[in-house]
Amino acid sequence: MILHNPVSRLLGKNISVGQLAGYSIANFVGLAILLTALQFYRDTTAADNAADDSFVSADYMILSKHVSDLNTFQGKSSGFSDGDIAELRAKPWVEDLGVFTPSRFHVNGAVDFGGRGMSTHLFFESIPDEFFDVKPEGWGYNPSDSTAVVPIVISRDYLALYNFGFAASRGLPQLSEQIVGSVPLRLSLSGNGKRVVRTGKIVGFSSRLNTIAVPETFMNWANAEFGDSTEAAEVSRLIIRTDDPGNPEIARYFDENGIEVSGEKLNQGRAAYFLSIVSAVVIAIGLVICALAFFILMLSISLLLQKNKDKIHDLLMLGYTPRQVAGYYYRLVAVLNGALLVLALVVFVVASHLWKGLFGSLGLSTTGCGVTMLAGFGLMALVTAVNMMAIRRNVKRNFYK
Amino acid sequence: MIEKITINNLLPEVFGDERDTECIRRSDVWLRHLSFEKPLSYMVFAESGTGKSSLCAFLYGSRRDYEGTILFDGNDVRGYNAEKWSQLRRAALAYLPQQLSLFPELTAIDNVLLKNRLTDYYSEADIRRMFEQLSVDHRADTVAGRLSIGQQQRVAIVRALAQPFDFLLLDEPVSHLDARNNDIVAQMITSHAESRHASVIATSVGNHLSIDSNKILRL
Repeated sequence: MILHNPVSRLLGKNISVGQLAGYSIANFVGLAILLTALQFYRDTTAADNAADDSFVSADYMILSKHVSDLNTFQGKSSGFSDGDIAELRAKPWVEDLGVFTPSRFHVNGAVDFGGRGMSTHLFFESIPDEFFDVKPEGWGYNPSDSTAVVPIVISRDYLALYNFGFAASRGLPQLSEQIVGSVPLRLSLSGNGKRVVRTGKIVGFSSRLNTIAVPETFMNWANAEFGDSTEAAEVSRLIIRTDDPGNPEIARYFDENGIEVSGEKLNQGRAAYFLSIVSAVVIAIGLVICALAFFILMLSISLLLQKNKDKIHDLLMLGYTPRQVAGYYYRLVAVLNGALLVLALVVFVVASHLWKGLFGSLGLSTTGCGVTMLAGFGLMALVTAVNMMAIRRNVKRNFYK
Repeated sequence: MIEKITINNLLPEVFGDERDTECIRRSDVWLRHLSFEKPLSYMVFAESGTGKSSLCAFLYGSRRDYEGTILFDGNDVRGYNAEKWSQLRRAALAYLPQQLSLFPELTAIDNVLLKNRLTDYYSEADIRRMFEQLSVDHRADTVAGRLSIGQQQRVAIVRALAQPFDFLLLDEPVSHLDARNNDIVAQMITSHAESRHASVIATSVGNHLSIDSNKILRL
């Protein structure tokens, strides 16, 4: 059709293959960088699991007071007063704050490993459910049901500590999360002159909470039942959610008030901040390349239309409408940009699959490619639309001599 | 689609300073009230540089650098957009420009087909027959750039006729033709105009198209 249509033959004259190739390469590179960086940014900040497990979503921090020698010798505990908590809550970077409730009773946990029993003293803590990064099935507890299983979430670090530290050095088998989860724990709870036995089960592993966590309902019941009511309920650990973990103001405040952040979350926050800046810089570079490529195309097209000015004018003189004439160039730009978009999409999808495997082996989840594809599509649609507008204006200018 | 073209106080902008000169005062067209009506034929005589090509371009909508008004059936054409002009150029206004404006890289027949595919007015066979009448049929498949200027003029005339029209604007249609071809062209134009009940407006500086014109104007 292109060859047989004399209009295409006329308007296709003077097309500079070199210029279009230059544009294609530049825009392809820019767009591929842009989309890949965008997908990387989205994967590292993992929008749909930022609420739970992403390693850079240090939006949660666990705080405790610095334990000094003085605390140890005077037997004075280092807790947060109500005033401390109120002050923290009022900080602009604190979005939400939860209090760790420690167990005030004795817990003894026992495991039966094929006849070989092991038992140890344990402690529990609980926090409001919204601060959990994992939401295991069966989370919750009904105190009136004495056969109910007590669900437990432990820090993933504990398992790692056992697997890579203890088991490796002692020649013990390494345990997977599934195996640990399938072993029932015999919990004997005592205090206040009472004692009961309950079955516990590890139902999840948390990357956020460095503790042994149980549901608040269980904790409230057990503390009331076995806890020492004369002992003042003291808050020794807090968890906060922040929208700005890289904020230097946070570090300063903690320093001044002797607050410690567990698990280097602050550094992780900085890492997250740094990573997002790096991604943003790469995205910006991609955008700049795309913008430059866009100008190459605009220049190339206006040069082409300038060279074909007389032909365009003569076609319009014959009764061709500006839209018919512009249509040829519209198709040219649309086909070119469409092909570039497809190529760039392929590159970023392949690249993201490469790091998805890597992320997966680190136990991190990633997001889908849909939003990035949409962004690429949107950007190219915008570029194409602006090109078309420029073509239309340029063709119309040739209507009158 | 157009029954009557009226011009009022028309003057090319470049002549703005010359409105009191002898040349403009003697003109039957510039700064006059004048109507071209279907199906009458008009011959506009002009000396070189008096604006005959400008008049054609103004009437055809390809230039707007004039003062005064041009009305098509009472409507001021200044209000027409590109889309409207394109529509008129396919259905009501035919134009043979003095510079012919053939595309040199296309063959003679393709040049005419380029117009004809917009109007679908003739078949390719019809066009070849018209080429034959004007003795350019043997050149139909030669690229226009390699035709003599007289042959190009005849091809351009066929192209101008390849559409329905109410007014046929011919800017020096026979400037490069001999007397015999002039007669043949004149005959063809007359018969095509008659079959469409259309009006012919032809300009001339020297070699006049030998048609019977109803009105002779001096530019």
